[in-house]
Amino acid sequence: MKWHWLERGKSRAGHRLSGTALFSDLGVRELRVVEAFAHERQFLPDEVVFDAGEDGQALYVVVSGRVAVIAEGAGDKPLAELVAGEFFGEMGLLDGAPRSAQIRALEPTTLVVLPRTEFDRLMVSHARIASCISLQLARHLGRRLRAMLELAPAREAS
Amino acid sequence: MSLLRYRAGPLVWTGNILATCLLLFFFQKILWLVVPFILALVLHYLLAPLKLRLLLRGVSHDAAAAMVSVAAFLVFALPVVYGFPRLLGDVAGLHETLLRYIGGGIRLLTDVLSDLEARSAFLAESGARAMLETQLGGFFEHFTEKYLPGIVMGLMVWSPSLLLVPFIAFFMLRDGWRFRRLLLRAVPNAYFERSLALIDAVDRTARQYFVGLLQLTLLDTLCLAAGLWVIGIDGALMLGLLAAVLAWIPFVGSVIGCLLVVLVVATDFPGQPGVAYAAIGLFVAVRLLDDFVFMPVTVGKSLNMHPLVTVLMIFIGGAVAGVPGLMLVLPVLGVVMVLGESAGQLLTDPRLHARHAHAKALELRRVTRDLRID
Repeated sequence: MKWHWLERGKSRAGHRLSGTALFSDLGVRELRVVEAFAHERQFLPDEVVFDAGEDGQALYVVVSGRVAVIAEGAGDKPLAELVAGEFFGEMGLLDGAPRSAQIRALEPTTLVVLPRTEFDRLMVSHARIASCISLQLARHLGRRLRAMLELAPAREAS
Repeated sequence: MSLLRYRAGPLVWTGNILATCLLLFFFQKILWLVVPFILALVLHYLLAPLKLRLLLRGVSHDAAAAMVSVAAFLVFALPVVYGFPRLLGDVAGLHETLLRYIGGGIRLLTDVLSDLEARSAFLAESGARAMLETQLGGFFEHFTEKYLPGIVMGLMVWSPSLLLVPFIAFFMLRDGWRFRRLLLRAVPNAYFERSLALIDAVDRTARQYFVGLLQLTLLDTLCLAAGLWVIGIDGALMLGLLAAVLAWIPFVGSVIGCLLVVLVVATDFPGQPGVAYAAIGLFVAVRLLDDFVFMPVTVGKSLNMHPLVTVLMIFIGGAVAGVPGLMLVLPVLGVVMVLGESAGQLLTDPRLHARHAHAKALELRRVTRDLRID
């Protein structure tokens, strides 16, 4: 059944999430569904988003700005930097394990936060959103695994 | 930076129990608002899955709440409009009906005592039956004149506040998510994830308790109705439902429900105490089923409490706030426990305080960057 008569045109929320890696395959209506469950947070440069070892309660999408991924015991040197459109915090939601690294804002940053309960709810009750998110997560983890495999020989040599 | 898992200590537990008692005392004072609020909360939890289904189809929060509320109003309003004339007729004859059933109950009791007196010389000498007949007869002779107007007036006073229920439920459905966002927006970034978990836990505890209570009521109603139907009692479903709803009051409610059914049985089956015994047996069986099978899979899931604590808290709730205290003590304690443990967790985590202080310092530096006194 179509609900176009109830939809309020193209929402700003849809635009905000449409450019992000995790939700790139979703249509306007699905983006609006995701947005209905999401929150927005602003972070100052150098502010900590979460620490390594914390329980993961949410998934974050960078809408604007830049954040650094800092491994425990690695000093201030970041493992990676994430820019607008990228996401983090997904591992805590997938396997329930504590956060593996600290995330710190590098410049004024806006994040869209999808809480664990809402993420789980979307995954079990909306087949299209669940399949799109699962596919993107699988691609993301695949890319990360390949990057680790590429880095491994270099680490062994050094 | 790894965090140790927090466990609530005796201080938090004492705080939880004190807070529960204070809340119950306060709730008792504003019962006219608490009762409709709780009924609205139950209605909201019943309708929320329907709203969620609409949200998942891309309908906005406001439109989904409006559609679900209109549908629910029609579903609830139609039977009320249809059944109102009949209900008025029943109320008009309430006086006679009440006397008839009370008379039936007294007859059963005197029959049982006569039977016992015939078997025991001690009881026959004590004149227990005659004493009971005199005292109960005197009490119930003036019962309707003395107490019935008070009960009817009480219902009339309560009805306006009960009319609030659909309105509160509608606004909970429509604006609940806004309120949640508003609350979370006020939380500093350092505490945000913990607050998310806290709000979810409070919501889950209350939802599981009240939805569990409704499931329990449904199971009780079905079991009692089936049993009463097998015994051969008319209106088995209505009686089962009434007794199941009365069972919301711990301990006392089940006894009142059982008494009610025994009165009906004694009136409808005069001179057949066996039917009344069967109804009492049925109540005992359903009570046991409730305690050992139904409770753990419905309400028990929401309250992770030791059974001894549960029983003690029910007594404390009754002492602090009477019947409302008996009914509210468990859900209130469940929510207070979640809040207390989360507060303990937040207050004893120095890393969160440090992160918050750091964020405040960063904000101060940002806003004072160009404010220099030479």
